[in-house]
Amino acid sequence: MTELVSLKGIVKHFPGVLANDNVDFTLRRGEIHALLGENGAGKTTLMNILYGLYRPDSGEIYIEGRRVEISSPRDAIKLGVGMVHQNFKLIPSHTILENIILGLKEVGFIINYKKISEEIRKLAESYGWRINPNAYVWQLTAGEKQQVELLKLLYRDARILILDEPTSVLTPQECRILFQALKRMAREGKGIIFITHKLDEVFAISDRVTVMRKGRVVITKETSKTDMSELAQYMVGRPVLFSIQKERTQPSGEAIIIKNLKAFNDKGVLALKGVDLVVKKNEIVGVIGVTGNGQQELVEVIAGLRKAAEGSILIDGINIANSSPDRIIELGVAYIPPEPLKYSIAPNLTIVDNLFMKAYRYKPYSNGILINWKKIYKKADELIKNFQIISPSLSTKAKSLSGGNLQRLILARELSGLIGDKIPKLIVAAYPTKGLDIGATEFVHKTLIEYSRKGSGILFISEDIEEALMISDRVAVMHDGRIVGIFKPGEVDMEKIGLMMAGVQVVPAI
Amino acid sequence: MAKTSRIPYNIKIQKRLYYSRKLSILTTFSAIIIAFGVAGLFFTIIGLNPLEVYSYIGGVFASPTLLLESFKRAIPIGLAALGLSIAFKMNFWNIGAEGQMYMGMLASTGIVLLHVYYGLIPDYLVLSLMILAAFLTGGLWCCLPAFLKAKMKVNEILTTLMMNYVAMYLVDFLIYGPWRDPKGYGFPLSVPFPEYSKLTVMFGEFAYGGLLLLCLTAVIVFIILRYTKLGFELKIVGENIEIARYAGINLSKVVTVGGFIAGGIAGIGGLTIVSGIIGRLRPRASPGYGYTAIIVVLLSALNPWLIIPVSIFFGGLFVAGDILQATLRIPGAAVEMYQALIFLFIVIGEFMKRYKITITRGVVE
Repeated sequence: MTELVSLKGIVKHFPGVLANDNVDFTLRRGEIHALLGENGAGKTTLMNILYGLYRPDSGEIYIEGRRVEISSPRDAIKLGVGMVHQNFKLIPSHTILENIILGLKEVGFIINYKKISEEIRKLAESYGWRINPNAYVWQLTAGEKQQVELLKLLYRDARILILDEPTSVLTPQECRILFQALKRMAREGKGIIFITHKLDEVFAISDRVTVMRKGRVVITKETSKTDMSELAQYMVGRPVLFSIQKERTQPSGEAIIIKNLKAFNDKGVLALKGVDLVVKKNEIVGVIGVTGNGQQELVEVIAGLRKAAEGSILIDGINIANSSPDRIIELGVAYIPPEPLKYSIAPNLTIVDNLFMKAYRYKPYSNGILINWKKIYKKADELIKNFQIISPSLSTKAKSLSGGNLQRLILARELSGLIGDKIPKLIVAAYPTKGLDIGATEFVHKTLIEYSRKGSGILFISEDIEEALMISDRVAVMHDGRIVGIFKPGEVDMEKIGLMMAGVQVVPAI
Repeated sequence: MAKTSRIPYNIKIQKRLYYSRKLSILTTFSAIIIAFGVAGLFFTIIGLNPLEVYSYIGGVFASPTLLLESFKRAIPIGLAALGLSIAFKMNFWNIGAEGQMYMGMLASTGIVLLHVYYGLIPDYLVLSLMILAAFLTGGLWCCLPAFLKAKMKVNEILTTLMMNYVAMYLVDFLIYGPWRDPKGYGFPLSVPFPEYSKLTVMFGEFAYGGLLLLCLTAVIVFIILRYTKLGFELKIVGENIEIARYAGINLSKVVTVGGFIAGGIAGIGGLTIVSGIIGRLRPRASPGYGYTAIIVVLLSALNPWLIIPVSIFFGGLFVAGDILQATLRIPGAAVEMYQALIFLFIVIGEFMKRYKITITRGVVE
């Protein structure tokens, strides 16, 4: 029996959505099976069913040929099914070892820390990971936390591993380590399901690939027998353009001048150590680098959400360092923050509320005391159309929108000139396409390019190097709180970019 | 032959993605009814017939005189609840309506004393000045914890609760001391308020004038929340502070102003006690209306219109408490216990509403 898992005719309804529509799926022993699809295609739902988080409305689950009912993750683990979620489920204040044995009955009442610690160390080493089982989880990087999640499953003898978009939090380096370990696990005979929406990862790691769209399986194929553009078409149901024709406009005048900017992070450590950067009007400047090298602090200081310790940020000759956020908004700075649901969308408020979260206090939408809802609704209707936001009504709560629609909503709010009826002077976009599917990513790219043509200066923070090279006029590399190099796409090869990301100065940083 | 093993029962608590309005109303009513049931059990244990107790409580709402009395009690409760609805909207957990009411009583009595003892204020201005003073003092009493929260992240639940005692004992001090009526045979009472300083000047009956005041305030609160810049800001601050900062909202200003209005309305609620129900200031003039208001506002889901009928219901419970005490010799605390039970079951209902509980049993063949 080579089939570890076989799902037959799985159907799952949620209120108003058919998340899985008669899905068949198989996982073989020793294979890495990529489960590919846009956001909302039903990949995660299907895997949550296999992991016992959801019960299917109908359909059958076979594990190693036996028909099973899985009604909780506990059942799943007993059957050898383990899942690593996108958001790690670890307790930061506990050690790695404590996290791994948490909930394990087999360890008994008195815990033999020494023995278990040795076992965990050996297990980790067999996959090329070097970890200290007695380190606390809060001390770990995202990549290490993921290793702990995997160890947790391996320590429980899981034979079927489900990884939900495991690379979304990793650096390229950490990705390589993960991929090596996964391949090794597959060689040992485990089956691995790798959920992703990134095409290149499918080819980097998988043996077979299943594409899902709108709750259905479109196709399952040997990875070697397909190519990127074919898969992309299966994913979105139409051909996709991978490169964007970008007409370059001549940059003119500075949109923002950042000089020797220093700022602390939340832990009180200097995170910006003297950033110098200029973005001109009509220009897109991409900022790349490993996450956590000061990108987040940089955008927050510009938006007025974080104090600058030293240095200046000039917009039209006015220093906005340490100005209040509303003053910076009034000066024409649009800010698209990372993680919309945490920093810029109020999920329980309506679409209108979210659209006018900044503009409500300015004319003509308010006279200083009262709000003119009539004008707001009229304008909102227009924005919904222009930015192609798909929603049942303006009073729908934002939380019921998909990721792509949320990002469109943010773009509409930030870019459409609600405040002062002008396009923004500067657009600060932090990871605006993170987690979006191909269609929505394309829309974000097009919109940013369109605004750069209209005259906005754009500071574009990205963790996707290819993306940054594709849409930027200039690319700056950030490392350890400084810009270590700035160049035009095409001037520098990938290897040098990699060196810069590691902090080596290759090209001038001005 | 396949091995069959049974996996034990699983109780699974799943967060509901959506819950309907119908479910919301259903849980609220169930909370009230279950609370009645549990209270009935208690009455049975202490040797009373619960049906008899219920009939007394129901009787309050059937008799015109008692209903009028319930209206009176509903007025301070409703005003405090309206104030709270503003505070709760911005996630400012104001437990201090009671103290803010006491400050309202104190301020309005102060105005009366200035008038009576020193003749500083003309007759026709007294009531308007009392309302103004009650609003400002109640507002300041709530403004302080709001400001501390906005500027220094001081937990408002503690500060507002503690300030209740400060206000209550301040009133005690004044009324046992300098404000005691010299002609009052030593009782801890202020001078009786002159007629033109009482809310009975409207319609000759406090209940009518008071209800009008309550309804007007509800309209104002509705307009603030729905149609003003401040209302929109309160909503966003209540939803998520990070997002409010991102949107360029001046947090300290919104929280302080919102707190001021919330406390001010509760202060006017305090005024209605001394100038409407009692007609003078005495210690412990509020039997906990400010705490009842918390239950009222949660039962009404912050809706200013619902606050009015719900306050009348709780006003009626206070009246029923007095009657039960007089007729069946049940301690007045019984009614407070009933209120607490409703609160408890609302909190439980809130949980049941958000989560779905299923019991399943897994089988492995």
